[in-house]
Amino acid sequence: MHKLLEEFLDKWVWPTMPGAPGAEFRLKITRERCIKGWELNLARTLADIEEELKTSDEAWKKAHALRGYAAEGVHMSIKQMSAQLLSVDIAEQEKYIDLQRMRARQIWDECKHSKLHADVLLGKGWVSDERELMDIAQANVQPLPAYFGLSMMFPHIHPLARAAQNYYTEANACLGIMAYLHLVDDPLVRHEHLSQQDEELMHFMEGKFQLDFYCTDETSQRHVEDALGYLLYQIGGIAEAAPAAVR
Amino acid sequence: MLKVDHERCTECRMCYIVCRELDINAVYIALEPLHRIEIDPEACTFPGCTACLMYCPAAGSIVETETGRSVVPPPAEAWRS
Repeated sequence: MHKLLEEFLDKWVWPTMPGAPGAEFRLKITRERCIKGWELNLARTLADIEEELKTSDEAWKKAHALRGYAAEGVHMSIKQMSAQLLSVDIAEQEKYIDLQRMRARQIWDECKHSKLHADVLLGKGWVSDERELMDIAQANVQPLPAYFGLSMMFPHIHPLARAAQNYYTEANACLGIMAYLHLVDDPLVRHEHLSQQDEELMHFMEGKFQLDFYCTDETSQRHVEDALGYLLYQIGGIAEAAPAAVR
Repeated sequence: MLKVDHERCTECRMCYIVCRELDINAVYIALEPLHRIEIDPEACTFPGCTACLMYCPAAGSIVETETGRSVVPPPAEAWRS
């Protein structure tokens, strides 16, 4: 196991509140599914960075910043998470009020993250004003299917399905940030990542909290498992995570 | 006893959410100009409860009042039985 993943697990994943009702489930999916995905994603990110650092131009930094701008903040996160906020039934508002608070906070964080990507583009002179990004296709598109994105604006799956995304995907974000900080010296690229670090870890902690406290019955756990399968297989390309019908 | 190190805390409020969920309610918003998160030593049951430490994402932001030792990320004795 890579030392960055080991460090992440020891500091943030394994520490578990004694008696947390959903902790057994969280630790089970961590051992059986998440670690495999985290290992693969970290290895891919490190390999990508090493390739990028071999090039003499800065095109990869521009591509990353444009992709990051499209994936976080003004486009992706406001729409996706607002839809998730609105999709919690009135009758369930009381039960999930803290989940709603965390998600609302996350929208604001993600908007800051899109600004950080814009800072790279502005700082390098690739755009002179953030508004120019509205006319650049790469800053507005996502290559991935949108299970948690625009296509889920109407039928929301379950209030806790996103716990899988917070726990699994935000851990990948944290590991990606650790990888960039480990290998890249460029101060703007470090800024792009360093100033997201605590917030991405907070989003991971939201998932950890939701799994530990709320995912205590078969229904919610099934939704988390389904979402996790999607993230590992459809998004992550991990064949072993394919649904039985596909295998 | 525990206290918040405001040099490290990001005011994310995860500790507040966890403490409230457990109905301990030791984490509160202080009535001071910056309205920052604080821990009420009268209500906090540490080391009996260590829950907030498990979900705090800002390393070093919760410390033991007496020793000044950081307990984020949580030390082993806070969660290993």
